[in-house]
Amino acid sequence: MRINFWYISSFVISLFVIIPILTVFSSFFESTSNYYQVLKDTFLMEYISNSLILLVSVLILTFLIGTGSAYLVSFFNFPFSNFFKWALILSFAVPPYIYAYSLTAFFENYGTAFTILKNLFGEGSYNQSIPKFDGLLGAVLSISFSLYAYVYILARASFLYQSQNIIDLGKNLGFTKFKVFYSIILPAARPAIVAGLSLVAMETLAEFGAVDFFSINTLTTGIYNSWIAFDDLAFANQLSFFLLLFIFALFILENLSRKNAKYHFNTKAGFKQKQKIQLSGKKAFLAFSFCFFIFFLSFLFPLSQMMYWTIKFPENLFDLKILDLLMNTLYLVILSSLMLIIFGLVSNYGNRVNKNKTLNVLSTLSISGYAIPGVILAVAFITFIAWFDDSVIKNLGFVSIKKVFIGSILGLVLVYFIRFYSLAYNGIKSGYEKINISVDESSYLLGYSKRKTFMNIHIPFLRNSLLFVGILVSLEIIRELPITLILRPFNFETFATTAYISASEDLLEAAAVPSLFLILIATFFIIVTSKYILRDYNE
Amino acid sequence: MNKNFFEVKNVDFNVGNKTKVKNVSFAIENQGDVICLLGPSGIGKTTILRTIAGLEKLKKGSIILNGKTLSSENINLEPEDRNVSLAFQDNSLFPHYTIEKNISLGSERNKEKKEKKISLKEIVDLLDIFHILNKYPHEISAGEAQRASLARSLIMQPDLLLLDEPLSNVDQSFKEEIQVRLKKILNQLKITTIIVTHDSYEAFYLGSKCGIILNQELKQFDDPYKVYHLPNSIEVVNFLNRGILVPAKVTGKNTLENWDLGTIEGNFIKEYPEGANVQLLLQPEDLEHDDTSNLKLEVVDRKFRGTNFIYTLRTPSNTLIPVFVHSHHIHQHEVDEKFGIKRPIHIDHIVCF
Repeated sequence: MRINFWYISSFVISLFVIIPILTVFSSFFESTSNYYQVLKDTFLMEYISNSLILLVSVLILTFLIGTGSAYLVSFFNFPFSNFFKWALILSFAVPPYIYAYSLTAFFENYGTAFTILKNLFGEGSYNQSIPKFDGLLGAVLSISFSLYAYVYILARASFLYQSQNIIDLGKNLGFTKFKVFYSIILPAARPAIVAGLSLVAMETLAEFGAVDFFSINTLTTGIYNSWIAFDDLAFANQLSFFLLLFIFALFILENLSRKNAKYHFNTKAGFKQKQKIQLSGKKAFLAFSFCFFIFFLSFLFPLSQMMYWTIKFPENLFDLKILDLLMNTLYLVILSSLMLIIFGLVSNYGNRVNKNKTLNVLSTLSISGYAIPGVILAVAFITFIAWFDDSVIKNLGFVSIKKVFIGSILGLVLVYFIRFYSLAYNGIKSGYEKINISVDESSYLLGYSKRKTFMNIHIPFLRNSLLFVGILVSLEIIRELPITLILRPFNFETFATTAYISASEDLLEAAAVPSLFLILIATFFIIVTSKYILRDYNE
Repeated sequence: MNKNFFEVKNVDFNVGNKTKVKNVSFAIENQGDVICLLGPSGIGKTTILRTIAGLEKLKKGSIILNGKTLSSENINLEPEDRNVSLAFQDNSLFPHYTIEKNISLGSERNKEKKEKKISLKEIVDLLDIFHILNKYPHEISAGEAQRASLARSLIMQPDLLLLDEPLSNVDQSFKEEIQVRLKKILNQLKITTIIVTHDSYEAFYLGSKCGIILNQELKQFDDPYKVYHLPNSIEVVNFLNRGILVPAKVTGKNTLENWDLGTIEGNFIKEYPEGANVQLLLQPEDLEHDDTSNLKLEVVDRKFRGTNFIYTLRTPSNTLIPVFVHSHHIHQHEVDEKFGIKRPIHIDHIVCF
């Protein structure tokens, strides 16, 4: 095995991403403060049960909304079905915490709902009859309406590749439409749906903003508190270990239940494009209503609530240094995306040219960062730097490096890098899978070196994939809250942190302006990449 | 002093840890010679080309081109440093470039070559791909992609050109024409070439030498006429589907005797002692039809092959023998009819095992 530049680069990148993850796991064995005992006697069970209730409720709701809407737009033609096809992914632009602000703003006492009723019917005591969506219910709704798009996108992609032949086969066996759906279509899409639900599960368990806003004690807020209030990082990590066990248990359960069933076709041969069924009358209206209802609740509702407040309290618009926030957000987005794309690309190419087992294992481990909540990564990063500074740098007599990494843009970008590395790595990898290895070989035989093959053949080919990955990563960074909150430099704010700070000070009206900007920028990014997100380029 | 232009010496060809073809040795004497490697699918023909191109590593033996060792146990020149071009079977054009760009990438390498022997236009005309120059690989047929890939390899004017089933996707009607053009261009450019194919007629036409690879070995490496008429092993006979083996006894310097056919005369390619029992190779063209002959065999089957018929005849000892008959022969024999064989039987080259 020859050690080359690509091998070393891949190795170093993967190793860097793994270090904080290993820190989390290793601290599982460290001793903790007496906070553990306090918590065990008081809130631990509450944390666990809240996390479980939240998880199960969100999974059920996102499954119903995501799969239902994907089924309708994939198999039927009805008014605006083509519009809903991509409009339903706009919910990604609204992070759960902003949804939570909208929900509260609308339904709270003397909130927007109250104002609407008052304008329609005059003064009255409407507050008692307006339902309150707060606490656990509020969190479930906020997270579900923000995250169902994961299930929608993956289920729809899977439905898209189902051949008309297997559906015809069902009909031929005398199945009703409903039976075709639940005994053929749904099982065939199972891996995709489960993949979507797994993403939802990870995001739900890691969710901080919305849960914190509704003051629900979950494992994630427990982790945050054990670090903030008790300065007990080891226990914070142990809690997160619990959290990861939840996720792994779900994966294992699903895998066991699948047994040896196969869910995909081996070849494209025999694939028959689906004929969408034209709906009319009552059925068309019901399908339209369902999709519109989801679109309205997940996107239009929070967007209009934030617009309403921005217009109602225009002074907030001028209080904020919008341009500064925009520049800060874009600065982080550009820096992090570039770094993720460049290193993701180099690491992928290193793996491709070296075909080495160690490297392979290392890369597989390195992409597990996405499963670890941002709060944990940020805290683990601080711990690691502090430890490294105290036990290595100072011992060697150098100047402390803490300031370089903690509370700095560099530190922030590095933790974004660890958190979203799997997104970039896998996104680029799926682009790479479309390049046959004989293309590389042809290039070598034309006299191109490995570097020239990478620059002249691969990068031009991967251009679209890289753009897509860049925007996907940007979308995540714009919405990201806990890492930014913990690691940002003093006085450095983004739209997300400004919204959070205003909301946590009970100034929801002030949170509206940054939230609105955040939604608009994210919406722009989603519209630009909708073709790729929906995989329609293969259609 | 190494006289051969290209040489493979005692090489084991491997994919990973698995040996596909063992202990192979062959040589291409002169620059510009074309040789073909024939063998069934999956036998390792492509592995041989990939190893020569430097895409697979070598653990035993050596590969030498123009006096320079490309691969050995200790040396492994990178593919990009060999000036060896391989046109893959699955064409492997760069999907994001047009055909014209794809082909012109091939010429970049040899920009510095002083005498340019062939231009892009000439190659394009020769392979008839002008109409696809502005298209992308996914917009053209498999046959067109194969010709484009061939053009890219040819324009490189490499020291050694490796073609892996170069015309397998080209329409049958166009294939022979392309074969003629390919032969012309290879001659004109004096590009030393190794062609891998499973089409024996293609190999016999294009190659000045043919190698037959069977059962992990290079069984025969010879000029096409000899491979066809004088196969050196039963495996080669079976692979080329050339006639059948019948028992016979050597009765003299130029004769042998078969129980069904009687005396057979001809020139032995190997000497056998009188009285030796051998297996005689009877090829379809060895026996001649003669309606007036008293040696009659029963027709079991008749295949029409355009220019000729192939009759399958049953001998009294129940052996099935193939015989060619010109298709203009006026008298067609039906199944179960008797079919006359001209006597005395004379075979130019008597091949026995």
